[in-house]
Amino acid sequence: MELTLTGISYVRREKAILSDVSAVVPSSGLTCLLGTNGAGKTTLLRILSGELKSTSGKYYIGDIDASALSQRELAKYFAIIPQNAPIPPYLTVREMVGLGRFQPRGFSKWHLSSQDRTNIDACLVRCQIDKLGDRRLDELSGGEQKRAWLALGLAPDKKFIMLDETLEGMDIFVKRTFFQLLKDIASQDKSILLTSHDLDMVNEFADKIIVLIGGKVIFEGPPDSNLQRLLSDTPEST
Amino acid sequence: MKRVPWVAVALCLLLVIGVFIGIAMGPVKLEFHRLVETILGHGDTAAKMLIWDLRLPRVAAALLVGACLGIAGYLLQTSTRNPLGDPLLFGLGGGAAVIQALAMAGIVGMGTWGLYALSVMASLVGAAIITFFASRQGVSPARLALIGVSLSALTAAIATGALAGARVFGVQSLNFVGGSLANRGWQDIFPALPFLGLGLLVAIPILGNLNVLALGDQVAGNLGAEPGRTRAVAVASSGILGGTAVAVAGLVGFVGLLVPHVTRLLVGHDVRSAFIISILLGASVVLFADQVARLAFMPSEVPIGMITALLGAPLMIFVARRIQWN
Repeated sequence: MELTLTGISYVRREKAILSDVSAVVPSSGLTCLLGTNGAGKTTLLRILSGELKSTSGKYYIGDIDASALSQRELAKYFAIIPQNAPIPPYLTVREMVGLGRFQPRGFSKWHLSSQDRTNIDACLVRCQIDKLGDRRLDELSGGEQKRAWLALGLAPDKKFIMLDETLEGMDIFVKRTFFQLLKDIASQDKSILLTSHDLDMVNEFADKIIVLIGGKVIFEGPPDSNLQRLLSDTPEST
Repeated sequence: MKRVPWVAVALCLLLVIGVFIGIAMGPVKLEFHRLVETILGHGDTAAKMLIWDLRLPRVAAALLVGACLGIAGYLLQTSTRNPLGDPLLFGLGGGAAVIQALAMAGIVGMGTWGLYALSVMASLVGAAIITFFASRQGVSPARLALIGVSLSALTAAIATGALAGARVFGVQSLNFVGGSLANRGWQDIFPALPFLGLGLLVAIPILGNLNVLALGDQVAGNLGAEPGRTRAVAVASSGILGGTAVAVAGLVGFVGLLVPHVTRLLVGHDVRSAFIISILLGASVVLFADQVARLAFMPSEVPIGMITALLGAPLMIFVARRIQWN
């Protein structure tokens, strides 16, 4: 069940943020959306998650016309970890990841079942933070917090996980281990879509790269050593 | 959290003690045997009047006002992710304050029911303004607090102007601005009960969603918690409850700000547990503050808001050193 984007455009205040974006995100693997600040990466993720409606164009999850679905219906397919998400420091890691199993069923009916708890433990193990489950979020390092967010994204067990510039500001060592973790998770039948500025990391770890510059897709394909030259030759990327 | 039942039991015990002090102690001495006889329905007329018509209504008013302010503050802080969330500080009670001031000034004339309804509606206008700004992307907690404080200052100025213009007596004005439960009877409490019920009924269905709002609107929306609607409902409930509290007791400061923080320290973040504890804690705080307000300087009384601020400010400074927020 791959994600297919066909001719997605988005215009805000008469300015084209996205222009005729067409691409395919495979049903598994790590896909990186590469681009400069203001290239439209975040806007594209917000459209895919149903938070924004595109001006034109459609996108499909398998055969389903996802652009016609509501945000609530889309939430069945996408887990999103946004840029600058607030970190509730009074929560423990396990409590936060537990919120990923939230089901909106009213006041008294929502509770964590034993299956939920098993799932939460599995997510903590997959993100290698199982020993940090009872620590508060504000006691964690930046890299550990990112792993906690990733575990939250895994907890609802959705097909697609979208991470918006999750690794900006992290040092090279944290980035490298996190990319490796994403790659491992993506290899277990998950499709991860990550936006990033970091060409070197993306080229090293991504299964597929989509380059978005000035709201347009200028490259789509597997990692390519010529990408640096391509980006240098694109005036808007500098 | 496992200690929620213990905290609830401890607060219930505190409330029982507070109720006992509220009906047993006061400027008019009441012997223990007369108190027991009256409660059992055999007391003399004077004791019956003292307990059933004077002291018990006041205790009930304290419980009602405290519960309203405790929940209103908790809902406001949680839904706006703002540690300064307080129905009075954010101007939600300001609308009710203006209506009450206009009534005291003789400009608005109607019965208690009508006055309470009008106060709640005026508070809902403040709630709508706060919801509008809180839902805009990029409005930081600090900016939202500035908007709330400005709204509060504006309504306070209008209320003060109405009181000053009509030359309302100093003590009456002071009791309103500082909050007071003196001379509250059943006729002041019964009309407030439907609004307490309405505020609770509105809030209960969205408590589960409020838990997820801590993760930010984008993630909350992605998890199906409908952040915009959830916040609007929570702030509306806060407005109904805050307006009711102001209509009954005037401006009792600090309770709506302090109770949510202490609640979180006591029982953690789960909104469903904290909601119940904030009712009990708010009621306890106002009940005991009122006992100090009426007993400490017998036979005179001081505004209850003065006591909540005197007790609450040092406690808030202590709590502020320990709280963690986004």
